[in-house]
Amino acid sequence: MSRLIETHRARNPRLLLFHAFVVGLVLMLLGKLTYLQFWQTTLYSEKARVQNQRRVIVPGPRGNIYDRDGNVLVGNRPRFSVVLNLAELRSEFKAEYKKIEANYAKVAPGDRPNDNQMARIARASVAQHYLDQLNFILNRHATVRTADLNRHVNQTLLLPYVLLDDLAPEEYARLIERLQVTSPLQVYTSSTRYYPYNAAAAHTLGYTGVNNDPEVEDFEGEDLLTFKMKGLFGRGGLEKIFDEQLQGETGGAIYLVDPAGYKVNSRDLPHRLPVQGHNIFTSLDIDLQQAAEKAMEGRMGAAVALDIQTGEVLVLASRPDYDPNTRVPNLAPEQDVEKSGVWLNRAIQGQYPPGSTFKIITAIAGLRAGSIEPASSTSDCPGYLMVGNRRFPCHLHSGHGRRDLVGALRDSCNVFFFKYGLETGPELIAAEARRFGYGHPTGIELPFEFSRPRVADPAWKKLHSLDKTWFPGDTANIAIGQGDTLITPLQAACMVASLARGEIETKPTLLHVANRAPQRTAPIGLPPRDYAAILQGMAQCYAVGTGRFARVEGLSGAAKSGTAQKGRIDLAWLVAFAPLENPQIAVAVVLEGALDDDNFGGGTYAAPVVKAILEAWQTKSERPPVKPVNFKVN
Amino acid sequence: MLPKRFDQARPFATLGFVLLGWLFVPLVLKTFTRATFFEIQAPLTVADSFVRDLQTFWSNRLHSKDELLKAGQQVAGLAAQYDFSVQQNEQLQAEILRLENLLKLPSMPAFRYEPARVARRDFSGWWQRMIIRKGANYGITTGAPVVFAGGVAGRVTEVYRYTAVVDLITSPTFRLAASVAGDSRPISYQGGLNNSFKSPRGTVEFVPLDIYATRGVTKRLVTSGLGGVFPPGLSLGEISSLELSPDGLFKYGEVSLDERLGSLTEVTVLVPLNPEEF
Repeated sequence: MSRLIETHRARNPRLLLFHAFVVGLVLMLLGKLTYLQFWQTTLYSEKARVQNQRRVIVPGPRGNIYDRDGNVLVGNRPRFSVVLNLAELRSEFKAEYKKIEANYAKVAPGDRPNDNQMARIARASVAQHYLDQLNFILNRHATVRTADLNRHVNQTLLLPYVLLDDLAPEEYARLIERLQVTSPLQVYTSSTRYYPYNAAAAHTLGYTGVNNDPEVEDFEGEDLLTFKMKGLFGRGGLEKIFDEQLQGETGGAIYLVDPAGYKVNSRDLPHRLPVQGHNIFTSLDIDLQQAAEKAMEGRMGAAVALDIQTGEVLVLASRPDYDPNTRVPNLAPEQDVEKSGVWLNRAIQGQYPPGSTFKIITAIAGLRAGSIEPASSTSDCPGYLMVGNRRFPCHLHSGHGRRDLVGALRDSCNVFFFKYGLETGPELIAAEARRFGYGHPTGIELPFEFSRPRVADPAWKKLHSLDKTWFPGDTANIAIGQGDTLITPLQAACMVASLARGEIETKPTLLHVANRAPQRTAPIGLPPRDYAAILQGMAQCYAVGTGRFARVEGLSGAAKSGTAQKGRIDLAWLVAFAPLENPQIAVAVVLEGALDDDNFGGGTYAAPVVKAILEAWQTKSERPPVKPVNFKVN
Repeated sequence: MLPKRFDQARPFATLGFVLLGWLFVPLVLKTFTRATFFEIQAPLTVADSFVRDLQTFWSNRLHSKDELLKAGQQVAGLAAQYDFSVQQNEQLQAEILRLENLLKLPSMPAFRYEPARVARRDFSGWWQRMIIRKGANYGITTGAPVVFAGGVAGRVTEVYRYTAVVDLITSPTFRLAASVAGDSRPISYQGGLNNSFKSPRGTVEFVPLDIYATRGVTKRLVTSGLGGVFPPGLSLGEISSLELSPDGLFKYGEVSLDERLGSLTEVTVLVPLNPEEF
């Protein structure tokens, strides 16, 4: 039979035609295959790669922030979670799905859930099964959030699904001992910001927010479907300003997946571990900072301390404050917090009239203009001065009596400064204030510094006030730091630091550099005798005058108190520096108070805060060699 | 009649059919078969172990009297030391009991100590485990800690009637919550890929940043007791190196384990008195 067929085939031309047709088809197929394999291979390989590979991006932890002694002010706290690797559970999902399908087999088709719903039920059931294991080990009663789980499966299947978050160390320990190494349940660690000193320097350090789209640098696979773990970004303070430096180096991995998106084991695909960001070493001294904040407990205001020689900021405190630990990873503003104004960094954003601390500027302006002569300029203070037909009171209503420059600074006599301020003139006083940096922001490395500090003078009033005429009373006001001049506590501290160095400007910085060279700016331009008169007045103020409550036993210093009003708020100021012989630390403190407190003043309210800072500094610092001064202090 | 070629391939075909059939056998039956196989194999393993013991016994008998006398003296010295330790332990236990009564504290979860002879060891890279000559017949349960003179030996992973399988501390599948001696913070200890004839090693993860260890200055790693399986304070090994993890959150490093893990002959299983707590 077969022989017959062979014979028939050989003789039938139609069969040959058929053979030729088949051969032609095969050749076409081979041709297409060759074309695809040789000419289109790159294109299809690329398509397959894009379809079969997924990229997972893991942001690196942020760098730490340290104080000048190396204490961690902001670090990263490990956050332990238990995650379920859904990508490993495909077979379990399938088995559960079949079980559910079988259970619903007898239910009428109309009442039966559709395939999608059954798949969701199956997934939730499997996840709950694993969660029950955790509940048993940890004695919890957690349940799976079905909607959350389904969203995760649909959008980020490759990423582990978090079943339990922020575990206690004991829980984490139980789990690593009880969960099998090969289990789809694994303990996962991520990092979250941690502020070991809680609210200390909260405004300066800042806080972070959640970054849902962390940047990826130099990691291949940009064209692949990418899943990104959440990162953090700086939203305030140093966290914001140095965000770029603090950001960690993003890590990532590329996984091979099957058409359903489940991970397939594969090797030799790119993988890079995330790397922690750069650390920042601040100039803050946490001991001094805490001392200042403790002294300001329950108050509203700000305190700043600077290293006089380098301009490094030792303390930058603002009250009320907040604990950034309660705001990570998510910032959840609370109504009461918003109302109390804790977000305002009063040290750099508070706009305050400088009060009697401004008398230092008035004195320098008068000395430089020649209107004040230390040896002969005196005033007789009866407790007020009539300027035009208006009575300008001194803070001591009974009057100070006769006062020279030193005595006026010591006792903060308004009448002396009314008199000589009027002689000096508002333009020169304002120019002196600007020379000391009161007219512009300090440029400290913090966001949202008060950018338009104001030094009032006739030109300013003409431009910005409804009543454009400058009266002698305005001059009297600005001479004692009242009126429209507004500064920040940081500017006040910079002024004192500059004065202590005998210079006109201090550039504050929050970055600590070991052995930083001292700042050098233009000198004040006062003869030594005039300069010494100001220091003597301030030294007496610190020792026996209005600033005496700031005095620290065994530490010489210079101070100037002040009281001012802003609207219905009283302000208590005290600026100081120490030691007198070899100035190292400058301090400025302002506290807000109520008008109904008669005793409210810089010498009584702000002085204890200055004292606390100086005491902490004295306890901690190694004293430099003492140089004698050539004037009488007491 | 089947073609001759098929006849030749019949054994392979049969094997193929059997394997195919095995694929469809229910899981319960497979597990049962495996367990039965192990149970059948167990007497052979145990017998083999006894034979080896006998062999050791006879080889020991070949030692001269002088050697035996010296060994006896050493043993006597050790026994005296152990006697002293036992007395100290008894005193300490009495003190613990007194304090517990005084403070009305509940007693710590107690274990029953079940010494067991090692029947077979498997220290290949894959199976860092051993079989001990006691099983369910002595009340040994799955998950029970296993210790030896040097500290933790492993954990019971499978229990049969007369034998039990112990996952050794050197195994990559062994993990527990440890801590550095004198520090209460938990650290994850895991076995490593240990090659035969090399010093046993494990790894530690999630080590707090303020813990330092080098080859010169090692840190003793002990069980933390936080995991609820192992009692606290059992020695695991010495942390011999630590490195900062890339994310900067922790350190990770290597643990040098007791060399005697490679020649274990006797271990003790800590059988929990109240298994429900474990």
